[in-house]
Amino acid sequence: MPEDVPPRQTIALPRGCWCGSTSYNLAFPPAVSGGYFVGVNSHKDVVITGWGCVSPLGGDALTTWEALMRGESARGEITCIPVEGCRVTQGAEAHLPELSGVSKKEVSRLSRASRLAIPAARQAMAHAGILDDNGRSVFSRLELSISTTACGMERGEAFMRDICSGNTRHLASKISRYPAHQQIGDLQQHLGFSGPSMIVSNACASGANAIGHAADLLRAGFADIVLAGGYEALCELVFCGFDSLQALDPDLCKPFDLHRRGLMLGEGAAFLVMETSAHANHRGAKIKGRLAGYGHTTDTHHITQPDPTGAPLEGAIHRALQQAGLKPSEIGYLNAHGTATVFNDGAEAAAFARVFAEDLATVRISSTKAAIGHTLGAAGSLEAVFALECLRTGDIPPQINTTNPIPELAPCLSRPGDKLTKPAVLSVNLGFGGSNAALVFTAA
Amino acid sequence: MKNPVSILSFGISCPGGTSAEALEDFSKWPVESVPEAGGCRLHEVARINLSAEPVNRWRMKPRLRRASPLSHHLIEAIAQTLEARPDIDPARVGVVGAFFFGCLEYSVRFYKGLSTDGRRFASPILFPETVVNTPLSHVVAELGIGGPVYSQVGDTSCWVSALRTACLWIESGDIDHVIVAGAEEFEPHLLAAFHSLRWFTADHPFRIAEGAGAVLIGKKTPDAIADITRIADGYTFRTRDQARIAGVECLGEFDIKAPVVDTATSWASQTAASLLSNRQLVSLSQGLRHDGFTASSVWNTILAAQQPHYPRLVVPHWGLSQNIAAVEISRAANI
Repeated sequence: MPEDVPPRQTIALPRGCWCGSTSYNLAFPPAVSGGYFVGVNSHKDVVITGWGCVSPLGGDALTTWEALMRGESARGEITCIPVEGCRVTQGAEAHLPELSGVSKKEVSRLSRASRLAIPAARQAMAHAGILDDNGRSVFSRLELSISTTACGMERGEAFMRDICSGNTRHLASKISRYPAHQQIGDLQQHLGFSGPSMIVSNACASGANAIGHAADLLRAGFADIVLAGGYEALCELVFCGFDSLQALDPDLCKPFDLHRRGLMLGEGAAFLVMETSAHANHRGAKIKGRLAGYGHTTDTHHITQPDPTGAPLEGAIHRALQQAGLKPSEIGYLNAHGTATVFNDGAEAAAFARVFAEDLATVRISSTKAAIGHTLGAAGSLEAVFALECLRTGDIPPQINTTNPIPELAPCLSRPGDKLTKPAVLSVNLGFGGSNAALVFTAA
Repeated sequence: MKNPVSILSFGISCPGGTSAEALEDFSKWPVESVPEAGGCRLHEVARINLSAEPVNRWRMKPRLRRASPLSHHLIEAIAQTLEARPDIDPARVGVVGAFFFGCLEYSVRFYKGLSTDGRRFASPILFPETVVNTPLSHVVAELGIGGPVYSQVGDTSCWVSALRTACLWIESGDIDHVIVAGAEEFEPHLLAAFHSLRWFTADHPFRIAEGAGAVLIGKKTPDAIADITRIADGYTFRTRDQARIAGVECLGEFDIKAPVVDTATSWASQTAASLLSNRQLVSLSQGLRHDGFTASSVWNTILAAQQPHYPRLVVPHWGLSQNIAAVEISRAANI
């Protein structure tokens, strides 16, 4: 059994310091004062043997990664949902991949979310070598750790529209594919497995939570292999919601820019096949990366705004680093949440400045949301795929659209051609309701 | 789950009240006839009056003034679990919430608003309240809960998935106590949805309820109300025929001699009756069973945990859309 996880640590905690801006005691460095180090007491090594994604930049992980490295952005007019009348009508829409071997009738029944999730999960499983010749899982029971925020919302919206217009035909077909567990059912049916599933909906941090939860399951011995990931399809309710908050930038999405005005919504799906190293080695799978650490905290500051001090995010990062047994100076690339809203980017910058201190200038930071948009429940999973691609290739995605960076992060925003020179990559996400999550990845 | 956990306290907010006794007789729950959205067909529904005591104590809390009914149901149930155990510091408690429908009322209001008034006039006040994890965020802020917080979604059985997450956190040594809650709110579009899915038939009456339930769990301890000794989850299906097979496999995980609580509603009633013909079936409540979905999952668990005459009970959680799960409750160590 690999022993690269630090030994169990018992840490005395001051009262009430684990979460919440009002109770966070900054007199204690978060790495010491933080309360719950998920999986620190485990000696199981969590490895990643495959990944896949569908994004607005491409129908697979490689195409997406190459476009990202070229500095492309998928911004364009939204056509898949009605957005007429919104202040902003642009976003990052994905091209739905063909579903081979699935009848047109069945495809028409699938929600847009499932049409993103199934090909992404299939890629991950193929990459991990757990699909048979018929494209079915070689494991009849495979645990799922999944994230989404809007489920198959366009089906629910169609149901609502029909009810309002008095059209009561085919209501069942619309509403039946809306709930989140129906996308789970679609994944299981099309990829040939069953088993327990956990669908976390912690807003925009959900994707990272799903991956972190999978690691917890593996470390605690609840599972040997988990398919983890997230999906999110553009839908009218959420698009209009962000538009109503005036959180969408009418121009380019400019993370960490002094003149940032908001986010660009996107859609996509990404999945990772995660295993204990013992399980991967036993089946002869190639280990392609490791999830070394996971931390998550809850910030009670405000429903839609993060704690401006960034302290809860700082706590999550410290916890992930502690579990990974790494120092901040060992992080070479940080895939930031970077929504390009005033509040998010400010809180993140404050947290990064404190976590990395004098090492900040040596970290390369970018937000890939300027390229693929904010994919909400899928964001953490897509960005995990980018972290793994960064470790695989040694390339760092450049920060695009940001021409006047905020001074705190100006020296560390990544530029075209930047290379990874340190052993680990950090990916962080924040969400409505105060969810914060951090994942630390290392190479195989 | 690898080790048993103990139920240390519980909380209930249901149409019948906030005590465990309210769960024993559904015939005492107030019901009202509500027309389906977009139609005139009436269905009986059991709802909570949020202006009545004791659940009205949250109405004037700053974060809850504009919050969804779901948030109010949830905070009442979770607050009770903490009030019952003042020796446990909320700052060191985690929460996992399970939701089937989430903030349905505000989602419908928000969507109707943008449909009728125009997208540019969609409400920025309502939108954040439509997000699934908003109710739990309100609750942890208001009650000073300081541990990890997850909101999970799925069908009725997703409460068992939430329970499993809580067990994982306790097993990992991350935290000592976790509240596992389930909560739902009613909105008339639910009636239209379930009618279209043929969940209301003469053969199996189906009455929707709203509310919440929560249990506080921790490592196994002798002073507990009961222990959760086994969890079976992940028996999935797409058709009702497959559901029968999933049910057989799920309940096959438990000792055939262990009595099984009758929890099935709607179309699962017949499936459950045939599946359980060779087992001791125990009904813990009187009157037509109301379905509060994830809230019912908790209510059934609380009822089972309080049965002095049964050292063990298996509580099935018939997720009627995709998954069947079951939990074994044991009082052997506590009697």
